[in-house]
Amino acid sequence: MRALRTAASGMAAQQLNVEVISNNIANMNTIGFKRQRAEFQDLMYQNIERMGAQSSSSGTVVPTGVQVGLGVKAGSTYRITVQGTPTRTDNDYDIAIDGRGYFQVTLPSGETGYTRAGNFSLSSEGQLVTEDGYVIEPAISIPQDTVDVSISKTGQVQAITDGETEPQVVGQLEIATFFNEAGLEAVGDNLLMETAASGPASVGAPGEPGYGQLLQGFTEASNVDAVSEISALIIAQRAYEMNSKVISTADEMMSVASQVKN
Amino acid sequence: MENAAYIGLSRQMTLRRELDIVANNIANADTTGFKVEQLLVGTEVGERARNDAVRPSVSFVLDKGVGRDFGQGALKQTGRDLDFGIDGEGAFFTVNDGVGEAYTRDGAFALDPEGRLVTAGGAAVQGDGGDIVLDTSKGPVSVGEDGTISQQGLPVGRLTLARFETLAVLSKDGDGLYRNRSNATPIEATGAQVRQGMLEGSNVNPLTEITNMIEISRAYESVTRMIENNNDLSRRAVERLGRA
Repeated sequence: MRALRTAASGMAAQQLNVEVISNNIANMNTIGFKRQRAEFQDLMYQNIERMGAQSSSSGTVVPTGVQVGLGVKAGSTYRITVQGTPTRTDNDYDIAIDGRGYFQVTLPSGETGYTRAGNFSLSSEGQLVTEDGYVIEPAISIPQDTVDVSISKTGQVQAITDGETEPQVVGQLEIATFFNEAGLEAVGDNLLMETAASGPASVGAPGEPGYGQLLQGFTEASNVDAVSEISALIIAQRAYEMNSKVISTADEMMSVASQVKN
Repeated sequence: MENAAYIGLSRQMTLRRELDIVANNIANADTTGFKVEQLLVGTEVGERARNDAVRPSVSFVLDKGVGRDFGQGALKQTGRDLDFGIDGEGAFFTVNDGVGEAYTRDGAFALDPEGRLVTAGGAAVQGDGGDIVLDTSKGPVSVGEDGTISQQGLPVGRLTLARFETLAVLSKDGDGLYRNRSNATPIEATGAQVRQGMLEGSNVNPLTEITNMIEISRAYESVTRMIENNNDLSRRAVERLGRA
């Protein structure tokens, strides 16, 4: 009976759905997190009676045929890159991107990672680093006797050092955009990596056409919507239940058949 | 004598196939753009298994085809720029997956590294002039109800919707794709609209499917009982006749 395996594929798909939803809910308060959604597609079809086949010697043809589908599979899990709400933190080194773009991070391996989580700090050498201590590209060094730092919407970093009245430019932040943001690979720790599907990064200054602007003193909240996640969870649970009902029905029918001869 | 058993068997086989199709509907209750299916059964008049001078025919049950309900599925908002739902029955996006043209209602598209609009399976979505190529440096994409794609307020292409005179020419190919294996030519669907940032859910009604499943299960049991009774009847006949 195909029904058993078809229903099993349905249960596996709903399990994946619940896993994606639970990851969204778990990351509700993760800075810069983008929610994901599982998309499903129907599996292949078995042609039991091909449409267009001749149904008689007089040349009549089967108009619709019998096609039986074999279940469902996960098509892909999309990252929905809708803007999260910028949340005020008043921390000088918290920077949110309003619009398109990712901060570039130099990983310990030497590769470049990309992140939307702009909750930065200073390292012991005065460099702007992420939570994990990875240096931001291009590297920004803040002088030691700085009393105030201001970062403009276009990414210019200015520092006022002790005893000075004029701010001095200490660096320019740059952000990267991708042709296909959904093709970036998430590697955890709020980091994304470039892939063949995402295309190469195009780096530019914030505020240029096609690039977002920076907001100093803000972090970008995750774009997870609790209400829609919970309702998606309820739907997934019910769908799972229904697939299990199919399995028990198929099982009952098979046991009925096996009891005919007693 | 075995006529009843054979007729019962023909019904049981169609019931099993019906359950396969119901199982597929339920498994795909959450599949974007999925259309619900139903097995169409009919009467197949056959010969009686008896050598009489007069042979009245008997009717078997045979699955004649699969009916597809192309009714509109519910549109749900996703907030993603490259999600498109079709508002209008029987209209499809045309895609090209290298094998040939296919049709789909699943509008969860993405961009490939060259900027082409593609489906989740990587098939290129077709517009007015073949593949649709977007330039992401021009910023967000907005798509109007008639499928016109614009960036920075300037039109850059158009998503076209295709329709067929009879939907029966389409066969399902999996991955949300339909293929046209007949020589019918698609025509432009004028009555249907494209909705950006939305996806069409499946049009599976779980209640109907569960009810169908109960019906199938009960029908299967009663046919089985009929075969059992028939079996008893012949056994008793053999016993009695043997005693005489």
